[in-house]
Amino acid sequence: MIKNLIKTLQKSTKQSIDNKEIILDKDLPKNITALKEIYSYPDNTDVQFRSLHINGLDKTAMVVFISTITNTKIIDEHIVEPLLKNQLKDSRIENIITIQSYKKKNNMKDVLIDINTGNAALFIDGEDQAYLLNVTNFEGRGIEKPDNETVVKGPKEAFNEKAATNISLVRKRIKNEKLVIENITVSKRSKNEVYVAYIKDVANEHLLNNVKERLKALDVDAIQNLSLLEQYIEERKHSIFPTVLYTERPDRAVSFLEDGYIVLLMDNSPDSLVLPATFWSFFHSSEDHYLRLIYGNFTRILRMAALFITIFTSAIYVGVVTYHIEMVPPDLLLAITATREKVPFPAAIEVLLMEFAFELIREAGLRVPSPIGPTIGIVGALILGQAAVEANIVSPIVVIVVALSGLSSFAIGDISMNFTIRIIRFIFIIAASLFGIYGMTAVFTMGLFYMVSLKSFGIPYLSPLSPKYKSSKDTLFRRALQNEIFRPGYVKPKDMTKR
Amino acid sequence: MKILPSIGKILCLIMLIIILSGCWDKTEVEQLAYVVAIGLDKPEDEENLVEVSYIIANPEAGNQAGGASSDEPPQETISFTATDFVSSKSLANTVISKQITYDLLRFIIVSEDFAKDDDFIRWIYDATKAMEIRRDIRLMVTEEAPSTFIANNNPKLDTRPHKYFELIFRRGNDTGNIPPSRLDSFFRITEGDANVFLAIYGTTKKRQNNNNQEDPDDLLAGELEYTGVTNTTQFAGSAVFKEGKMIDKLTIEETRIAFLLSNELEQPTEILTALPDPFKDDHQLTTRISKEGNIDIRMKLNDQKPTINVTVPINMEILTNHGMTEFTEDNKKRETLEKSFEKTLNQKFEEFIKKTQEEYAAEPFGWSLEARKKFRTIPEYIEFDWMNTYPEMEINVNTKIELENFGRQSDLPDLNEMRD
Repeated sequence: MIKNLIKTLQKSTKQSIDNKEIILDKDLPKNITALKEIYSYPDNTDVQFRSLHINGLDKTAMVVFISTITNTKIIDEHIVEPLLKNQLKDSRIENIITIQSYKKKNNMKDVLIDINTGNAALFIDGEDQAYLLNVTNFEGRGIEKPDNETVVKGPKEAFNEKAATNISLVRKRIKNEKLVIENITVSKRSKNEVYVAYIKDVANEHLLNNVKERLKALDVDAIQNLSLLEQYIEERKHSIFPTVLYTERPDRAVSFLEDGYIVLLMDNSPDSLVLPATFWSFFHSSEDHYLRLIYGNFTRILRMAALFITIFTSAIYVGVVTYHIEMVPPDLLLAITATREKVPFPAAIEVLLMEFAFELIREAGLRVPSPIGPTIGIVGALILGQAAVEANIVSPIVVIVVALSGLSSFAIGDISMNFTIRIIRFIFIIAASLFGIYGMTAVFTMGLFYMVSLKSFGIPYLSPLSPKYKSSKDTLFRRALQNEIFRPGYVKPKDMTKR
Repeated sequence: MKILPSIGKILCLIMLIIILSGCWDKTEVEQLAYVVAIGLDKPEDEENLVEVSYIIANPEAGNQAGGASSDEPPQETISFTATDFVSSKSLANTVISKQITYDLLRFIIVSEDFAKDDDFIRWIYDATKAMEIRRDIRLMVTEEAPSTFIANNNPKLDTRPHKYFELIFRRGNDTGNIPPSRLDSFFRITEGDANVFLAIYGTTKKRQNNNNQEDPDDLLAGELEYTGVTNTTQFAGSAVFKEGKMIDKLTIEETRIAFLLSNELEQPTEILTALPDPFKDDHQLTTRISKEGNIDIRMKLNDQKPTINVTVPINMEILTNHGMTEFTEDNKKRETLEKSFEKTLNQKFEEFIKKTQEEYAAEPFGWSLEARKKFRTIPEYIEFDWMNTYPEMEINVNTKIELENFGRQSDLPDLNEMRD
């Protein structure tokens, strides 16, 4: 019975979608009735139907728009007023209204899309088409500083939730007619649109088609923003490594565009998706190139060191203390032993406990309302650090080890990669507590195998390091800008050289 | 019914196998007793047993971290009779509460009597069997029984035993008072059967210095006269091991000569010694001696009587000048000085080489390694029989001294003028 009910429900929804497949009629009242039914007028309060009489043509007309997402002032001044004041008998509608751009559609489905995106539809009695007039005005915030990918030196603009603004920020940086911004609707019900940006004479055709096909193949009712879209289009959904780069910096997105990558933009997303992504694109930050060569490479070294410290310090401590004490210099070993003398837990449990506590502080600090934020920091540092040591729950050396690995984990800026290494850290600690350094080596080797096997939109994850491609060798270190003459070969750009 | 278990179940099983197969040699650091030094001695009228002594470091000593600092002693010692120093680990646990580990073991202390025993080599080779024992630990010979040595050794400042031994041995090595004496070179030299091995010699007993009072360097451990409130232990000179058995002792001076004539031993950085002043008979000049690179060894082994010509390049600094002779500006005087030093050193070198040839019939310098290069095959070298040929060799030593500087201020006032 329930099955039947679901079936009928499905049928009705299907029907309501099918209703929109109407061809517009010459009879104005018929069109309006259909529209009013579709929009549940007058229950739907912000849908406006403004009927008027064009004196010159002696025709009734109807302007349909959603008042909350349109610029009503423009509707007044450039649509309603000219139409009402018109006295000429044989002028055409497009010559009466003084709006920037318009199009004509005779299909109800297309009309609805435009009304829903903030345009006004003008129906004239006796015409089987509607004029769709561009008066969109969505509310949103202005351009602000990036919150997550901050830099000291370099531009400080970030994407915001308006795709038009974001596209404008991109166009501001690439003043070239070959920059193409395509528009693909990816969801059935909410009609979310994705803007695919690429440079036509650089980006690889095959890669572009691959991306577009994947976007078109999506069969969902709604995809609100890019964070969700990322999960729909990525290849391995259960993989620990991210394969799509997510950046909120227009300068970063543009530098990828210029290298032949493809950038996705969307309304309601204060960010962009860069496809394909390699391990290095997560490891790098835009400031690496803004700083002078030596300074940039210095931060790269720091970041790589921080990456390994995060992954390995706690695990090495556990492994060495439980399996390889002969590796530790006598003074240090005796110091560790002395501090562990009164601690009731094995070293592995002790470290896991502290790592877990550290993750708790981080998560709580993120979710806590900002007025009580500082309290969490004090409680976390004081209770978990000082008091735990004094109560002999953990040894002071473990606090140092965990604090070091926790602190280092912040050096990786990308949020996805950050999660990756934080989770990997736990895998290594468990491997070290079961098998010592031997276990860590085994996990590391397997991890490398896995990373090498990964692909992002057909591009090997560790390229251009392995497999080797012609590129500017921007991996662990970067080279002087004059020497970075090649676009990355693995995205197979149409134009290999940058000069 | 499904025949194949789900992937989840398989993963669970694999996880269980991994967890079950892990942790088999897990130890917790605080549950171990760290033996820093092992003492070995021969108990009287017991043929197949050894007396094993342990110095066990207490990690808590002097440690302030983790709450209240403890006033526990820095070390704990124990001596008992066992069949060897491997099985003694479990025997010690009748008294010691924690599992005995040799991971921190840095020294093996052997009594002089035991080292002179024919059977000593049987016990010391146990160290090659035990997994935990490192090969770079040091071998030390004490005059008294190790148990007595351990009981009497009571450093006042560096109370933590591993630190004390490490510091005093490293410093002894730097000044050339004691040889490096690493266990792996003991095994290598014993098995190579061509040289003698020099081990550290130490004692807590005081002994009358029966050598001449003229040369204060010519002493052994226990012979330095000193007063004051400090440890009674002395490390000086070396014990000579031939074919895995101790045969003699060398004084500090002889140990330093062995250093200077060797390309194999790790060189001391600071040999400070006094040599006779050629200008004033009743005064001595303190010098800092260091070897300038490797010594040059020329061998003629094919002759009826094999000859070896050794050139020792030496850099010298003059640190004191009690004779107050002005030789910094005077080329001739400097030449006389060099000649005189060369003569003194040559004489000492020759005396010592003669002693090794006559008394030990083997050399501690590692020249046999140099000699191997002269042979095309190993059987040829074995047939030559270095150990037996060495005593008959003619060995000429030639010292080349280069005077480097004469202290921070090279000029000294003229005493005659000052006191006129």
